[in-house]
Amino acid sequence: MSLPSFKLLRPRNVEDALGFLHRYEKEGVQICAGGTDLLPSMKQRLFSPAYVMDIRGIEELTHIRVVPGLGVELGSLVKLSAIEDSGFIATHYPVLREAVMTVASPILRNMGTLGGNLCLDTRCLWYNQSLQWRKSCGYCIKKDGDLCHVAPGGKVCWAVFSGDSAAALLCLHAEIEIASPKGRRRIPLADLYTNIGDDRMRLGKSEILTRIFLPEASAGYSGVYRKLRLRGSIDYPLAGVAVAIRKKGKIIDDARVAITGVNPAPRLVKDATHALIGREMNEHAAMVVGELAARVAKPLTTSLLTPEYRREMIKVFAKQSASRATPSGPSIRD
Amino acid sequence: MKVPIQVTVNGKTHAHEVEPRVLLVHYLRDVLNLTGTHIGCETSLCGACTVMLDGQAVKSCTVLAAQANGAHITTIEGFAVNGRLHPVQEGFWERHGLQCGYCTPGMIVASAQLLERNPDPTEAEIRMAIEGNLCRCTGYQHIVEAVQYAARRMKGAAAAD
Ligand SMILES: Cc1cc2nc3c(=O)[nH]c(=O)nc-3n(C[C@H](O)[C@H](O)[C@H](O)COP(=O)(O)OP(=O)(O)OC[C@H]3O[C@@H](n4cnc5c(N)ncnc54)[C@H](O)[C@@H]3O)c2cc1C
Ligand code: FES
Ligand code: FES
Repeated sequence: MSLPSFKLLRPRNVEDALGFLHRYEKEGVQICAGGTDLLPSMKQRLFSPAYVMDIRGIEELTHIRVVPGLGVELGSLVKLSAIEDSGFIATHYPVLREAVMTVASPILRNMGTLGGNLCLDTRCLWYNQSLQWRKSCGYCIKKDGDLCHVAPGGKVCWAVFSGDSAAALLCLHAEIEIASPKGRRRIPLADLYTNIGDDRMRLGKSEILTRIFLPEASAGYSGVYRKLRLRGSIDYPLAGVAVAIRKKGKIIDDARVAITGVNPAPRLVKDATHALIGREMNEHAAMVVGELAARVAKPLTTSLLTPEYRREMIKVFAKQSASRATPSGPSIRD
Repeated sequence: MKVPIQVTVNGKTHAHEVEPRVLLVHYLRDVLNLTGTHIGCETSLCGACTVMLDGQAVKSCTVLAAQANGAHITTIEGFAVNGRLHPVQEGFWERHGLQCGYCTPGMIVASAQLLERNPDPTEAEIRMAIEGNLCRCTGYQHIVEAVQYAARRMKGAAAAD
């Protein structure tokens, strides 16, 4: 399979990248970080941009920096394998490492970036297919058509956000920096996502995700990430649950639960926090977390597994992860 | 519009002009005639196209040749030195780590990367390292044994140094 033709842009810093996005906005520029999501999709003609902007040469976005008193700053181009190898992340933000370790396979994690993982295109059985396949089905709302095969008669797209690390980062209350021609702004990661399948992010055409911040206050939470996938070795999540918990003695001091792979956006299960704070973890509490997580999950027939099964697995994973998450050692100041 | 690239493959430097859409795997096979790197799925799944790019194992069907400009690449053809097999190649030979051989170049690159990072992997770690490389023939068992053989050989060599 060959790629469609395009012109290649290779900025060396964020300012040049923003300049390119602005200058070629009308013709269309597609940002390429690791390319592990984008290039296969371009082969399927899901994207045929006039320009591809390879941002891997932007050195300033490739670092993991610990900022004492504030937390950790990750450039959007940090490779997933670098997060996996970071002892600091493993010790202080274990839920992120757990989630990252389940993305694709080791070699793809050598290529894929954290920014790309967060900006991942949404997925659907009727969308992630070759041009011929999609054409024979009359296309769909997300690409080239106006019907939805998942919710016939519907006018909205239900393609699913299928990144793993976002669920973990929502549990860590991560923030992101977005660079735009007007300057840089910092927002909670949760605000990046719209929950609309074919318009997934609040990111303008001339904007780039530049940094991800893990607050120091989220360090030291124990964490678990579980996911359902077709092949255990390589596939995207069809249901994913991240849990981060901090205890004082036996009592849960704070708890966060987030789900991915079942809605057009990764979602925090806010009620789970209220249900757990001030309690001890036991079978009943874990079950309540499962129920609450399943309530936020709205899977449809976007994959080969049934929505009922995926929703049930959200419940099972949330329950199991809540009980498995036990305190994991030192706080960030140690 | 073509772009100039210069890459060092298996120690030899090449300069060409390529269209931006040319994939690294196609450049290696069709321009440099290094057909040891195989093409399987072309969608980043199977790992047949795995090569070393600046010391990192990557799937060359998902890298643009233009992105490899200035890089050092090692393909399977660069593993043996002066006719002497790389320990991982030797392991595949001695422990029957292949049948049809389609997945083998990619398997060897992925395994070599593992042993570079972790000279003494457990069986589980070996299996995890080759997760992204699919083999239709062997059932993986002999591949795992080949990597274990290579790990022992490399440790032996390190001890002898
Ligand atoms: C076989 C296979 C299995 C996979 N399995 C998983 C999986 O299990 N879990 C999972 O989460 N992912 C999976 N992936 C997807 C992918 O490998 C990872 O999500 C990876 O982290 C994507 O990062 P990237 O840098 O390669 O993104 P790219 O492909 O470069 O980009 C992805 C998207 O984000 C946009 N983008 C990238 N960086 C920025 C930025 N800084 N600012 C604005 N927009 C940006 C791009 O324009 C593009 O639309 C899989 C992919 C393959 C091929
Ligand atoms: S051909 Fe590259 S991964 Fe299959
Ligand atoms: S030996 Fe035939 S595919 Fe692995």
